[in-house]
Amino acid sequence: MRFFSVDWLAALLVLAVLTAVPWLFGSGYIIGVMTVALCFAMWAASWDFMSGLTGRENFGHSLFIGAGAYTAGFLNVNFGVNPWWSLLAAPLVAVAFSLAVGFPTLRLRGPYFALAMLSGAAVMQNLTIIFSGYTGGQDGLNGLDPIVDSTLAYYYLTLILLVTTTIVLKLIAGSSWGTILRAIRGDEASCQAAGINVTFYKIASLTISAACAGLGGALYAHYQLQVGPDLFAVVLSINIIIMVYVGGIGTIYGPVGGAILLNVLTESLRVFSEYRLWVYTLLLVFILFFMPQGLIAPSWQRIRRMLP
Amino acid sequence: MTALLQVERLNKRFGGLHAVKDVSFALEAGSITGMLGPNGAGKTTVFNLLTGFILFDTGSVHLDGRSLAGLSPHRIVNRGLARTFQLARPFLGMTALENVEVACLAPRVRHAGHPRVRAQAWLDQVGLDDKAALEVDALPYGDLRRLEIARALATRPKLLLLDEPFAGLGVGEIEPLAALIRKLHRSEGLTILIIEHKLREFMQLVESVIAMDFGEIIAVGDPSAIVRHPRVVEAYMGNADLGLPNIEPTGAGDGAA
Repeated sequence: MRFFSVDWLAALLVLAVLTAVPWLFGSGYIIGVMTVALCFAMWAASWDFMSGLTGRENFGHSLFIGAGAYTAGFLNVNFGVNPWWSLLAAPLVAVAFSLAVGFPTLRLRGPYFALAMLSGAAVMQNLTIIFSGYTGGQDGLNGLDPIVDSTLAYYYLTLILLVTTTIVLKLIAGSSWGTILRAIRGDEASCQAAGINVTFYKIASLTISAACAGLGGALYAHYQLQVGPDLFAVVLSINIIIMVYVGGIGTIYGPVGGAILLNVLTESLRVFSEYRLWVYTLLLVFILFFMPQGLIAPSWQRIRRMLP
Repeated sequence: MTALLQVERLNKRFGGLHAVKDVSFALEAGSITGMLGPNGAGKTTVFNLLTGFILFDTGSVHLDGRSLAGLSPHRIVNRGLARTFQLARPFLGMTALENVEVACLAPRVRHAGHPRVRAQAWLDQVGLDDKAALEVDALPYGDLRRLEIARALATRPKLLLLDEPFAGLGVGEIEPLAALIRKLHRSEGLTILIIEHKLREFMQLVESVIAMDFGEIIAVGDPSAIVRHPRVVEAYMGNADLGLPNIEPTGAGDGAA
């Protein structure tokens, strides 16, 4: 990897803009929107790492997000544990969930993994209602402590963790590990014939993806000071997949951009009040119709080719 | 001295179909052997059983004296038995170089040097050196066949199984590929087992032939004897002229010209 390539310069530029956001727009409201956007970016990048690279679609990424968020909630609200511990415990619990779903289903070809993730998230969402004595039911768990007190500091904490996970995921994706994951997307049987343990790489990638999603879930929970059953919802998983496609699947940085873009877009469309969803949906259809490969990553590739 | 590959009384049933019946054979190290038979004779099933893509019901397979029973395909590759597929199955969306690089990352060869450098060397070996940077989606079928062989070679097999390497190739592509296989056998000392229908090229390439029909081995012998063997002739619909060329003994060497 060349450290002074144009890619790194662009990444530093984006990072500089994200760092400057609180000064450019001083309002706490915008800092809050951006903090949530960064959580979504972490979820989109982690979805892309497993599903974008291997082509094994995960329709229940919210399973890991909810598992991480509820872990943070239980530890902090029920047991009074210091919120910093959530950043460690949430990824671990999400990894446990990924192993429970991945071990039986990722050995098989066919739709079993996608279906198991979808139903796993749906089951967990219903379990939070059924065991409402522990989970607070529809109201969820309330009164979480923030990890750091000021919204400004929280924004920077989220930014640091997002940058770290994105760099780690991007480095793995660019290594021989990533080459193997893309080969799995190409043809699993050929991969086995090339001597690669396909099942191992799929399960290991899912655990990495889950850990990052769980971390994002804990950050989100301690920012909202509340967790609820909606964190397991299918619609959350679908939104993340849309962000990945708008960003450019299989590129890691594209989904990060896609998540930030769509979150900011949703907020800025508030001026359309009740027509907001109409406009949002039309814009999405427009983007995906004219740019089926996505908006962020392919645009950057085009700009790059024009640079000397 | 024991054989490199020892197959004994291999059996596989798919429901009521007895696809492979009591198949036994042995391959000596450094040999090049053909597997012949009409469609549905069970040749590809034998390949799938040997390479772990399908588990056999009874029997045994030993490579270098070690049993391969029950091992998953990637483990068998890492024991030194590699294969190609009947239809080339490249990793689409990746370059030719990356396709071979994947095989250079198999545990068996992982620490043998820089994967990208070794992958380029294998592409040179099969004559695809100038196409390394191309996406495989753009390669013609003959090149995909060579790529498939490069990928199998990259795992440094002791035994290479080629499943119909000439299928779907144009006339001009067959002889160069035959020359490549001959080179690998002669100069690398690679042990090779080939399934094939294209009889002329095939018979000039191999030292001995295992003929199959209805899941059984019906004859074993050198190529010139096999094409006159009554059961082989019968298996090809009783018509001795059907696609069976007059064959010079293989000892004549590169007599294709």
